[in-house]
Amino acid sequence: LFQHARTAAAVAGKLVPCVNPAMHIEEDLVDVVVVGAGMGGASFCWRLSERAPKLRIVCLERGGWVDPAVMPAQRRDWQSANLHDWATSPNLRLKAFQQSLSADYPIDDSGSAFKPLMWNGVGGSTINWAAHFPRLHPSDFRTRTLDGVGEDWPFDYFELEPYYDANDAIIGVSGLAGDPAYPPKPARAMPPLPLGRLGKTAARGFDALGWHWWPVDAAINSIARDGRAACNNCGPCLIGCTTRAKVSVDVTHWPCAVAAGVELRTRSVVQHIEIQAGRATAVIYRDGEGREHRQRAACIVVAANGIGTARLLLASGLESPALGRNLMYHPAAYARGMFREELDGPAGPVGCAIYSHQFYETDERRGFKRGVHLQVTRENNLLQQALRLDPPWGREAHQLLRQEFRHSIAILVMAEDLPEPRNRVTLTDRTEADGLPGVTVSYSLSDHGRKSLDFGLNRAEEVLRAAGAYRVVRVPLAPLTGWHLLGTARMGRDAATSVTDRRGRCHAVPNLIVADGSLFPTAGAVNPGSTIGALAMKIADDLARDMA
Amino acid sequence: MTPDFLRAVLDTLIPGEAAPAEAGLPPLPSGSAVIVDHASYAVQHADVLHAIATQAGGERAFAEAAEAARTSVLRSIEARQPEPFRALLTVLLQDYYETPAVLAAMGWRADPPQPRGHELSPAETTPLAAPARAN
Repeated sequence: LFQHARTAAAVAGKLVPCVNPAMHIEEDLVDVVVVGAGMGGASFCWRLSERAPKLRIVCLERGGWVDPAVMPAQRRDWQSANLHDWATSPNLRLKAFQQSLSADYPIDDSGSAFKPLMWNGVGGSTINWAAHFPRLHPSDFRTRTLDGVGEDWPFDYFELEPYYDANDAIIGVSGLAGDPAYPPKPARAMPPLPLGRLGKTAARGFDALGWHWWPVDAAINSIARDGRAACNNCGPCLIGCTTRAKVSVDVTHWPCAVAAGVELRTRSVVQHIEIQAGRATAVIYRDGEGREHRQRAACIVVAANGIGTARLLLASGLESPALGRNLMYHPAAYARGMFREELDGPAGPVGCAIYSHQFYETDERRGFKRGVHLQVTRENNLLQQALRLDPPWGREAHQLLRQEFRHSIAILVMAEDLPEPRNRVTLTDRTEADGLPGVTVSYSLSDHGRKSLDFGLNRAEEVLRAAGAYRVVRVPLAPLTGWHLLGTARMGRDAATSVTDRRGRCHAVPNLIVADGSLFPTAGAVNPGSTIGALAMKIADDLARDMA
Repeated sequence: MTPDFLRAVLDTLIPGEAAPAEAGLPPLPSGSAVIVDHASYAVQHADVLHAIATQAGGERAFAEAAEAARTSVLRSIEARQPEPFRALLTVLLQDYYETPAVLAAMGWRADPPQPRGHELSPAETTPLAAPARAN
């Protein structure tokens, strides 16, 4: 009777906690299984464990913990680590034939204009992210209503705002309150990161043109806080942070979640989710020794990023016409300005200086809807800069590198990526080493994306020249920027065009929930980490209420 | 493959600088002055190196050619075999730009980023300019 009641409730979308610690019926039956321990999974687990402390929550993570002592920033070959075991692309890590700490799977990205980047382990891609931590704008939640493009989110900015604030609190954000581009935010926990010569030079350009700029919100300690050191400006955030000044959720969220009773099982690769009669019943996973397990649960939550989540749900036979479609990355391009004066070189957090939202909102006169984010970034290491020169060898290469190294500012132009069904994640007919079907991403840059990037590049060049650049080089498309894996299991009201409802519950299987960037109906034009965390916490609150 | 040929390939790809290009900094050394162990890349990238020698009319012909002629040969191979050529170049640049003498010539320190980190310029300590308002 108990089991029948649970099933009926789950099918109806009202979930019932299954385990009373005093009366275990089956030891392997838990309340909630979460797949993935990155920003989405960590935020979800931490929040749910706070809101519903009696629930038994298990998180299955395909990778392991990363010890900061093995991160390459302390090694002499730290520059080339970026090309091998600490490359940002899982395909490059796999190709390097070295034992990476990231538990990667190959992704066929030959048909994708941008290459997907990620980290597979506890902390997910926060291990090697830049920790630039902006929020979406209120308008990003209503693009269909305001501009007739994309889709409206099933709730607005202000419904998510308390979760943004709560996530900021556990993260610890360095920044400056009062940014006029946003509704008021609480005081930031720490002062902004130092701008350095680079940031101040760029700011001079924005000031000369009368354009908005602001120090970034960064998930990086500008002062010592919460037992973690202040950032010492070492530079290469994308190869992990040895001092832990940069937030990764293995440092912030996971210790709290584990202390609250969440069981985190690492080296556990979920093979598929069992779905019977419209209800998810269990996950089948393989442990580090290759043994298979069946973990039953009342509710299964997937937070494996916009590729991993779609891959697992497709492999599990979840039926939804929108599943895997509408992949959004954020199209990206660069303009790099060369300056006579010496700037900072590759010192300071690489992605965090200042940004401008002068052109973020729609202006019909530009010939496209929505807008662009202009982000002033710091220099890469010497080797990376040398490798992307044109030409990269010969005497001219030396001259170009002399002009650039310690003398350049790059402005990243990031555009809003509108959801398009043709941009998608699909399965291949081969089985990969991790036991799951292979995965392909198909993505082509739309006319909208191209127009947005070209507009942004023009503005970036203007501001670099206003700041004093004597030469500007454009990179019209930056393929290795596919960090933001969004939209492939999006929220919505209509089961024909969305995968889940506003609470992340799959339309076809209400006790199967998504809690990561896959849910985004639209992507805005800013880094999504802050929104992924806030959204996962909101979904955790919704589930806690359902299971109360 | 002869050492002369391998040195000629290296020094065409990474010629270095004859004189200091920036006040107070030494000139960039040539590739062969920095990368002395040729054996590993000669084996690993044998195919593209053979293609270079063949295009030039032999290893000796390449080694004895003028820089402009060697550059022309390498451009031709780069166009015909872009991926193997890029793989060879990547390995060489990796070894080159991780060498302390090269980092010093570029005005950067040889120590890795941690544990010392970096000081950002004192300019950062001045108060922030009032950021402009968004429209």
